[in-house]
Amino acid sequence: MNKTIKKIICLAFILLAATSSSPVLMAQSGKDRPAPRLTFDHFYNHAELTSALKQLQTAYPELMELVSIGKSYQGRDIWAAIINNKKTGPAERKPGFYIDGNVHGNEIQGTEVALYTVYYLLTKAGKLEAVDRLLSDRVFYIVPTMNPDSRDYFLHLATDSNSPRSGLAPYDDDRDGLLDEDGPDDLDGDGSITYMRKRDPKGNYRSNPDNPMIMELCLPGERGEFIFLGSEGIDNDGDGLINEDGPGGYDMNRNFGFNWQPNYVQRGSGPYPFSWPETRAIRDFIMEHPNIIGAQTFHNNGGLILRGPGARNLGDTLPADRQVYDFIGKKGEMILPGYRYIVIYKDMYTVYGGSVDFIYSLLGIFTFSNELDFEQYVGTSRAERTRTSEAEESTARRRFSPVGNPEEIIYHQLVLMGEQLVEWKPYKHPLYGDIEIGGVKKMGRRVPASFQLPETCHRNAAFCLYHADQLPRLNLEEVKVKRLDSGLFQIDVRVGNKQVTPSISALAAQKKLHRPDMIKVKGKARIISAGILTDRFRELTEPVKVRKDYFLVENGIPGFGYVDFRLLVDGSGEIDLIYDSLKGGYLEKKIGLK
Amino acid sequence: MSRLKVTRIILILMSLAIFIFPLPFSGQQKPDYKYKSLAEVTSSLKKLTAKYANLCQLSSIGKSYGGLEIYLLKMAAAQNKVKPEDRQSVLVVANSEGVHLPGTEAALSLAETILNAYGVDKYWTDFLNERSIYIIPVVNPDAVSAYFSTPALERTHNGHPVDEDNDGLIDEDGPEDLNGDGLITMMRVKSPEGHWIIDPEEPRLMRPADPKKGEKGQYLLYTEGYDNDADGQINEDGPGGVEINRNFLHDFEYYNKKAGLYPASEPETQALLKFMFDHNNIAAIINFSTENNLLNMQQTGRARAGAERVRVPGRYATFLGLEPNTEYSLKEIAEAMKSSGMVGEVEIDENLVATFLGLGPAMTFDRSDQAIYEELQKEYKNGLKEFGLDYLEKNTRGVGQGSFPAFCYYQYGVPVFSFDLWQVPEPKKSEIKAGLTPDMIRSMSSEEFLGLGEEKIAGFLQEQGAPPNLNAGMVIKMVQSGQMTPARMAEMMEKKPGGAGTRPKNENPEAYLLNYSDTVLKGKGFVDWKVFNHPDLGQVEIGGFVPYLRQVPPLDQLQNSLKFHIQFSQKLMQKLPVLSVKETKAEKLGTGIYRVTVYLQNEGWLPTSLAQGRRSLTAYPIRVSLKLNEQQRLFAGRPVEMIPVLQGGESKKLEWTVQAKKGSNLKVIVWSNRINPVEVTIKLD
Repeated sequence: MNKTIKKIICLAFILLAATSSSPVLMAQSGKDRPAPRLTFDHFYNHAELTSALKQLQTAYPELMELVSIGKSYQGRDIWAAIINNKKTGPAERKPGFYIDGNVHGNEIQGTEVALYTVYYLLTKAGKLEAVDRLLSDRVFYIVPTMNPDSRDYFLHLATDSNSPRSGLAPYDDDRDGLLDEDGPDDLDGDGSITYMRKRDPKGNYRSNPDNPMIMELCLPGERGEFIFLGSEGIDNDGDGLINEDGPGGYDMNRNFGFNWQPNYVQRGSGPYPFSWPETRAIRDFIMEHPNIIGAQTFHNNGGLILRGPGARNLGDTLPADRQVYDFIGKKGEMILPGYRYIVIYKDMYTVYGGSVDFIYSLLGIFTFSNELDFEQYVGTSRAERTRTSEAEESTARRRFSPVGNPEEIIYHQLVLMGEQLVEWKPYKHPLYGDIEIGGVKKMGRRVPASFQLPETCHRNAAFCLYHADQLPRLNLEEVKVKRLDSGLFQIDVRVGNKQVTPSISALAAQKKLHRPDMIKVKGKARIISAGILTDRFRELTEPVKVRKDYFLVENGIPGFGYVDFRLLVDGSGEIDLIYDSLKGGYLEKKIGLK
Repeated sequence: MSRLKVTRIILILMSLAIFIFPLPFSGQQKPDYKYKSLAEVTSSLKKLTAKYANLCQLSSIGKSYGGLEIYLLKMAAAQNKVKPEDRQSVLVVANSEGVHLPGTEAALSLAETILNAYGVDKYWTDFLNERSIYIIPVVNPDAVSAYFSTPALERTHNGHPVDEDNDGLIDEDGPEDLNGDGLITMMRVKSPEGHWIIDPEEPRLMRPADPKKGEKGQYLLYTEGYDNDADGQINEDGPGGVEINRNFLHDFEYYNKKAGLYPASEPETQALLKFMFDHNNIAAIINFSTENNLLNMQQTGRARAGAERVRVPGRYATFLGLEPNTEYSLKEIAEAMKSSGMVGEVEIDENLVATFLGLGPAMTFDRSDQAIYEELQKEYKNGLKEFGLDYLEKNTRGVGQGSFPAFCYYQYGVPVFSFDLWQVPEPKKSEIKAGLTPDMIRSMSSEEFLGLGEEKIAGFLQEQGAPPNLNAGMVIKMVQSGQMTPARMAEMMEKKPGGAGTRPKNENPEAYLLNYSDTVLKGKGFVDWKVFNHPDLGQVEIGGFVPYLRQVPPLDQLQNSLKFHIQFSQKLMQKLPVLSVKETKAEKLGTGIYRVTVYLQNEGWLPTSLAQGRRSLTAYPIRVSLKLNEQQRLFAGRPVEMIPVLQGGESKKLEWTVQAKKGSNLKVIVWSNRINPVEVTIKLD
């Protein structure tokens, strides 16, 4: 068993180390043609991702289109897979679902989840009814990584699990006029940035007597052994500070144009909204596809299903939209055991200029953001650990060891066999003299171990597919034509919605974020008058403003509901009755005026 | 099909109209005041560049939405080794609103004045030798081109097509010049829904009916045009666009299509911002727009966040060892976070705490910055009086939401001075009995206001009908503590219900405009109402004020103000901070041990950075770096000393103890992003 895990991890690392495109295995697809077989027990670098996507596109040309939606700062393509069954209609006439991952360069597994979703949809087409239904009346717009520069940096260069969160445009973090001049340094050459400590009998840290790998804060009365010196590095620019200006230094998920705040209010927001090529590419891609009405972004970690608002000043989400979020979010907690569905600003922290708020609040798209994976360490359960940490403040403090808390270290020792652990080893530092370097490697935190990654991929893809299934599914439920004495026709039509998502979000309707839905007639016909039937028993009708052959439906069709319309039409012969929703789909029905 | 028919009918009607009333309609045209068109601005810039080839460089920072170049004139002499883009610089920006043609004239004329002075006047010769000036005379060319097109239509937005009425059609119903006079004016039409009446005092003007006086509304008012898309509304979705001067980053108004979908959504805004962030050596900004932030320091926004004491939410408080129901200063919270040891390596400061607690941005002038503005305001007002321009104080606008100057102060963090240059003059009213009016209060500094004394302030409050709980003592305290400014006070008095302005109660608020048109413009500012048969509305009357009346005067009316504002802008430029090393000392403390002392001074009037610049992190600290050679060693002191700010005239002593060979040299480099760097070599012997 352990051997197998080790093998898998080894394999993953061999793949990681390869800078050339990956050896993607070819298999026979269901329709007797070569299709790539992808595995999800390792992480894809940008070249491997590109190659996998291209092969999928070649194998499934009738379902998948692969487009580069822009270039990253360093010139890598930002790929989007558009998945649509063209036989069932053009993409712009179906509700769209958008997915992106890896906006933070170090939060890599979102890319695998997104790629897995593409792979799953394509390989299950024609085999699973649920997938076929999704492919027939939804379109998927999937961007596996929007930060390919930092993804490759994270996978191939020495760093820790927290960086680079930024993109890689040089940035003057310490405001000295120099860019990225003093980042961390891999002093021991092990490919990871870990920590430095120095032996000092007056220090405030000590080794845990039972497990010397664990470094813990001294409690009052305990004798110290070490001082903590921070991340591995030297003072590259001679200004007396260490690691104060590393690669990049901004946060692209604070660079989106809603509730954006400058750097002094929201650290890392960048000079102005969409100032980076990556955020611009995403903005343009989403805005070029106004049929998108559901979206998902992937981060790590914590096991959270997040929704906006990101900051208190935005107030509460409108009740009608909140119900949609709650319905899907709570199902998400069942699809993703251990994940909690929460609100960003209330239950986590304040985020100004995050993509979730931009996509929902300005574009009218229901958006979730998942913090993928949480620490499934050994022994104690999550709840138990929280309880003990609150019980006694002193032990709680001790848990915040920067190097790793006891459960984490034990997990690394007993479950991962030390693969992601660097034992404390002596090093001669130019400034600090004799020190020790050690700690958890970059792949040892925040990203799932290879045996966990497939589950992360499938369950989160399942959540996306559930949300996509819950996008509006409109139908013309009933159409009744009646010839009136005057020779005009009264057409009663009921437009229903089988799913929870309305065809226009309450916010979009209130703030007029995009054009409303429309009812049109085509052929030898003219709408004389029309209204929404508010009481079908008493036949009470709220009139709407008619413009020759169409009228606007300002609030769209509610989730799990319907709207009854009554039209007074002058015309003859066969005409088309059309319900045209920007985000909810396009319905057409022929009716005879006799 | 039917739309075609309507158009045909309209055409017939229009030709009929012209045929029937040829005289009155062909006579009126927007008066030609000889302002420079975009092409003429470009050729002026090119002429300057040709004439002062060694001082000027013309380039473009980008294009407008409509594809027009946004020109930039860089002015700097190449005498100095330091590249122009590395020097301290001043940015001059004009006409972000498109209607502010006087601003463009001012920017060009300021450029020319300074170029003319090069080689003649020592100050400006040195200035261009050591610094750079960037001039952007037109930020919003799409809107400006509207001024030079027919029909004339006051336009402040760019060419970005926007679906204003959200019906899925874009720019489908704009105004039309129905009476063919080359101007888009107003239509008044009798309607049972009307709430306007013809002002009985002045039948050319309209005013809302006052139901309390038994008046009944008779008219609806529209801008001149058809209901092109037959949706029952007139001119609700015209060509363009987004207003550039509302598209900037501070206090942006979301969900207002005129402001744009999000901050910096427009190419004009992006071009200017990119230029500014690529040149973070810009130390001051002069802006010409309809906003005057020296006369009206009132800023936009409601909340005063970040500066006060706040509560820490329970779930964090217990972790930090703080009480959930007690208020703490940001500094105290930062300290608690640091000492908790739970935040790892992140450097915690007050800004980070404010972010963490979601407190939002600054919304008022920092107090120390306000003092600087108040001082300059005095100087400015004296100048205005001297030039007979004090009428400008009357209706000054402060900076608006999402405006360029608001961004410059709050986010870019530099001193910005915005000048409106001209307003329609309002005749002085003699019937004001009160000693003090809100307008007079508005233009006072806090000190001047307090100088009035409690009795006068109490009198003012009483006359203004202030609520009894707002007494003089309280107001004085608020002004002293900086919670309230005179400008804010004036605004409160005017905005409260029944607030007293300076106008007599019954006078139509547009009467002074008509008076200006009748006297100064000899009637050219107003189109008399004439009957017109409107296809959608039936019989209407077309007339009203000529477009651009409020913003664009005949050029001769502007000359005096241009002259003064160019002088004053030059005065402001002379106040920039200048760092210099006043003195250096190297004292021998023992063999090979020296105490090195450097006296640094800000020789300028302005501080090396505004408080808001430091808060917004855009003004970098002054870094004084000691450069040692291989044999030298620092014994005491830091290799890089950071000085957050030096006020105007302030000096600072820095000391190091160095181990070095006798006779060797030591280099000290003084650097910050918005001041010219200084380098000195100190000989140790």
